[in-house]
Amino acid sequence: MQAISVKELEKTFRVRRKEKGMRGSVQAILRPQTEEVKAVRGVSFGVDEGEMLAFIGPNGAGKSTTIKMLTGILYPDGGRVEVLGIDPAKRRRQLAYQIGTVFGQKEQLWTHLTPYDNFRFFGAIYDIPEKETERRIGELTERFELGGFINTPVRNLSLGQRIRCEIVASLLHKPKVLFLDEPTIGLDPVVKESVRSLIKQMNREFNTTIFLTSHDVGDIEKLCKRIIIVNAGQIVLDDSMEHLKYHYLHKKIVEVKMQEETTFPQVEGITILKHKGTYARLEVDTAAIEIGDALRRINAQAVEDINISNVPLENIIMEIYKAEGKDAAS
Amino acid sequence: MRRQEKNAGANVGVLGKREKYIGRRYGLPGRKYGVIYRSVLMENLQYAANIALGFFGYFVFIFIFIKLWDYIYQTPGELIAGYSKEQMIWYVMMTEMMWFGSNAGSVGRQVKTDIRGGNIAYLMNKPYHYTLYILTKYTGEWSVRLPMYALLAVMIGTMMVGPVPGFKIVAVPVMAACIILGLTINAVFKICISLLSFWIEDASPFQWLYDKLLLVVGTIFPVEIFPQALQPFFKLTPIYTVCYGPAKLIVDFRPDKCVEILAAQVLYLAAGCGLMFFVYRKGVKKLYVNGG
Repeated sequence: MQAISVKELEKTFRVRRKEKGMRGSVQAILRPQTEEVKAVRGVSFGVDEGEMLAFIGPNGAGKSTTIKMLTGILYPDGGRVEVLGIDPAKRRRQLAYQIGTVFGQKEQLWTHLTPYDNFRFFGAIYDIPEKETERRIGELTERFELGGFINTPVRNLSLGQRIRCEIVASLLHKPKVLFLDEPTIGLDPVVKESVRSLIKQMNREFNTTIFLTSHDVGDIEKLCKRIIIVNAGQIVLDDSMEHLKYHYLHKKIVEVKMQEETTFPQVEGITILKHKGTYARLEVDTAAIEIGDALRRINAQAVEDINISNVPLENIIMEIYKAEGKDAAS
Repeated sequence: MRRQEKNAGANVGVLGKREKYIGRRYGLPGRKYGVIYRSVLMENLQYAANIALGFFGYFVFIFIFIKLWDYIYQTPGELIAGYSKEQMIWYVMMTEMMWFGSNAGSVGRQVKTDIRGGNIAYLMNKPYHYTLYILTKYTGEWSVRLPMYALLAVMIGTMMVGPVPGFKIVAVPVMAACIILGLTINAVFKICISLLSFWIEDASPFQWLYDKLLLVVGTIFPVEIFPQALQPFFKLTPIYTVCYGPAKLIVDFRPDKCVEILAAQVLYLAAGCGLMFFVYRKGVKKLYVNGG
């Protein structure tokens, strides 16, 4: 069963235009000019119940606008959206009981209250009986290890502690779909890892559908099995992570330390990314040359140390942004 | 009831039986607003000392007006626009008490900032009505401020002016109800003005006009001070129900006037709430949240 179904979704904003300088400012008063910006252009996709999906794209690609339409905050100009069989624009409050949202850059907790008081507040907002709220607070406090600061005002918590509390607040009513917008932004690697494992655990135990947007490739790689890339308001890629890596990982990064300074031959499929003294970093396109051949060409016998790795996912995504963005924009 | 059961049914599924109650209302229908109110109260109680710092401004204001009316009322027992000197000073003290005691940011600044900054997006997707959330927050804010200013007003008034002439202690509950209704009507209209931010860049000028109208006509001077021709017009504006009505009842309580003011307040509140929900429903479709 599909948790989210989106068909031909569209959203256009009317943005004010102003010419530069004082003259432009006066003109803007006398003859205000606006232009239409198509933020989302005919986006269609579906998300299965219990799926973990990464919905990514560069800034201004339309991902936040899409999320806002999925949660009923913005009204679509065209197309159809259904989240758990509910039209978010028509029945936003009913949908609110079944979805959770975590916006890494926005606070939903009341900063002058303690996490405990906040959780009680959210329990009441979602019409959860008091006893049940208490039980869930206890359960989530243990799981998210909040015991040490559950009675400290939120304003005095570290960012990592606050984000954990934000996630707990959005899980209290056990949402079926959780929208995470940059949940790990600004966190240190240890806390990031713990937040990721908690999200994973939640998905595994409660079959919660996860809709994630993030610029952190680690979040995408470690959490999601499917990825949708949007650019200029359109979907430019909708594929499984496995497929994405298989198709795009035809390039390898070869780092070598030679026994002595050497020059590398100009061979098709081998690009020298960096060469300084005995150290070199090469990119090998395995579609053009086999890795074994490439190693022979760089004289493997003179190599003191070698490291072969895949191109980072970040670079792959960047390439897709660049390539597909041009197509989408045109 | 049928709708609630339908909602509850829709939640049974992935998470099993335990989720049955989600979407149903437990306890009183307004329970969640009660909890919002309690949370704001808890938050604001931490700032009681900060609120007390505003007492100085109130005292200076009242002191100036006491001296002003002392100067204007030259003979004892003189009446101006039907008010004795004591009544006139108590009138200003009561309206100023309401002004200072309800001068919280939720209904003006917060709504405007929420809409313009896009923060409304994160408040809208909760299972409550945004405007009622703001109204409840505002009520929680003045619930801490107003009693503090009321105590101060009574102390200053008793020491510097003497008791309110003909004050009826039995009418206190009605007066309190009238003040609460007045503050709520004021909040509803201020929210309506702030909601204009959905359409225009900045609703502050309208907010400023409304505040100043309320301050000059009705807060500093009672309506009767103004020319006879203008008075019917003022009685049709929120001024009559927001500040003039409650203060008038305190300084000159009459049962017939009380019924008239309360009836006007109920009508104004109903119309104001209708307008607030309408403007919100229309405005929310115009919402433009950009960036992140």
